[in-house]
Amino acid sequence: MATHEEISASLQSFYEGYKKNNKLNLMNRDWNRIIIIKASDIDSQHTLTLQNGELSVSQGAPDQKADLVVTSDSETLADLFYGDITPTEPYLNGTLVIQGSEDDILRLDFISLMIWGE
Amino acid sequence: MQLKKVLTLRTIVATSAGLTLSSSTFVAAVQVAGFLAGDAAWLAILTGGLLCTTAALCFGELNGMTPSAAGIRLYFSRAFNDQLALIVSMLYMVVIMGVIGAESYVLAQVLNEVWPVVPALVWILTMFSIVTALNVLGVKIAGGFQNVLTYGLLLSMLAFAFIALVKVNFQLTTPLGTGNAVGLVNAVALGVFLFVGFEWVTPLAEEVTHHRIVSRGMLLAIGILSVTYALFTVAMTATTPREALAGSPIPHLLFARSILGDAGVAWMVVITLAASITTFNAGLISVSRFVYSSAREHVLPPVFSKISIRFFTPWTAVLAIFIIGLAISIAVLVTHRYLVLVNIAAAMESIIYALAGLAVIRLRKKMPEVDRPYRIPGNYIIPGICALMFTVLALAVFVSFPIVLLYIALGLLICTWYVNVVVPELKRRYQAQKAAAKPRRRLMARESSKSD
Repeated sequence: MATHEEISASLQSFYEGYKKNNKLNLMNRDWNRIIIIKASDIDSQHTLTLQNGELSVSQGAPDQKADLVVTSDSETLADLFYGDITPTEPYLNGTLVIQGSEDDILRLDFISLMIWGE
Repeated sequence: MQLKKVLTLRTIVATSAGLTLSSSTFVAAVQVAGFLAGDAAWLAILTGGLLCTTAALCFGELNGMTPSAAGIRLYFSRAFNDQLALIVSMLYMVVIMGVIGAESYVLAQVLNEVWPVVPALVWILTMFSIVTALNVLGVKIAGGFQNVLTYGLLLSMLAFAFIALVKVNFQLTTPLGTGNAVGLVNAVALGVFLFVGFEWVTPLAEEVTHHRIVSRGMLLAIGILSVTYALFTVAMTATTPREALAGSPIPHLLFARSILGDAGVAWMVVITLAASITTFNAGLISVSRFVYSSAREHVLPPVFSKISIRFFTPWTAVLAIFIIGLAISIAVLVTHRYLVLVNIAAAMESIIYALAGLAVIRLRKKMPEVDRPYRIPGNYIIPGICALMFTVLALAVFVSFPIVLLYIALGLLICTWYVNVVVPELKRRYQAQKAAAKPRRRLMARESSKSD
């Protein structure tokens, strides 16, 4: 089981990977989304906010409703945002549950692919 | 619900029914009528619809347990095992490509009938290119447009049926005379094709306020489609000579001409175009997303997980589907064997529905503690009926058309070989490459925090 701090660190690593990739900033200029990251086995919640191509990470739930809600166990979330595993496998075996439009889910997967590669 | 955007029941019904409505369903409807003696096609269609409601209930329970766009891949993986789920999903995707092939053939014949100077191949190329371009550019049919399209189509079909039935003063030839029992079973088996794809709406489970909306939407869609198809088919066979309908890939056009002349043809062409475009689009989206996610999972070569930097779409997967779809369509155009594809789809769909019934039963035993927002009442009766009846229907198709059994068995063998031989090798290569390329970041972060 990962800790809340480990998930925070993994999201920080994801954030840094995103920031380094200028293409991603450009590509997501018109994709303004609020994404909740929720652990199912520990009390841990984070919010990813994409605004005009800029990504920010904060702890806890957002003030407004989200576009995507990503829920999984803490281990999977930490591995996922560190890029140690791809989202597809846990998604296809039901460990990772994402609520939101299919296009947004796909876009999130694309972002992860561009940050971490295959 | 913490989500901003959610879909309504109206859109779920429109999407479920819209994915089902296609040009090749008109051909299948005539085939259904051909198995029966009088104007009793409605009986087979309503029975097919009723059986499909058992499948819809099963999908409702499965979808409530695991609301995911992964659909049958996830349901069957949990109920049986991942290998079987992958084999069945792959085969199903190939069959969907076949349906697209049959669909493009029927649509090309319709357009060729109206504008004979343009060869059918040009129509097929144009349609595929348009839908592929839309998919590469990431243009989607919006919920509102889907509503207009589906409800417009349904109303048009009902209007055609009503006009035709008025013309014959609602006088039907033996509306209850089904002929022999074998004919009825075959008619019901083929009737299942009319509902192919109603369950493709389950990926939208991630976009609704409550999973019950998807279950309710599927049931409503099947109910509406059953009545519409039943009336349309009876009206078609009651007003147009059966011999002409049975031998034609464009029976609906002949029907439209016989009751409304050229105006009817124009109206029917619009209906056919709308029905086909939604089917093409849904087919291309489903299969290309499957190909993309399979490549991401290292089940297919990584080349299929390439994405367009500009449009955020899996362009290599879309292009691959374009090439395969075009090849299938050309093969159908040359051989004119579109009916084989319709029968293969009917049998495959029956297999999927039978497995869905079995999956519900198995998961109730395997995971009794898992929360089920929707649970089919009556213990195992409905999933049992679903599994049994759809097995019988698949067998009926195999007995009537042994070539279908041959094709499905061949497809199953190839998919099994691929999953057992190629997939482990692809995964092994990926693991080796990954281990050599990058150490686990999380582990490194842990180590560095320890040393600090």
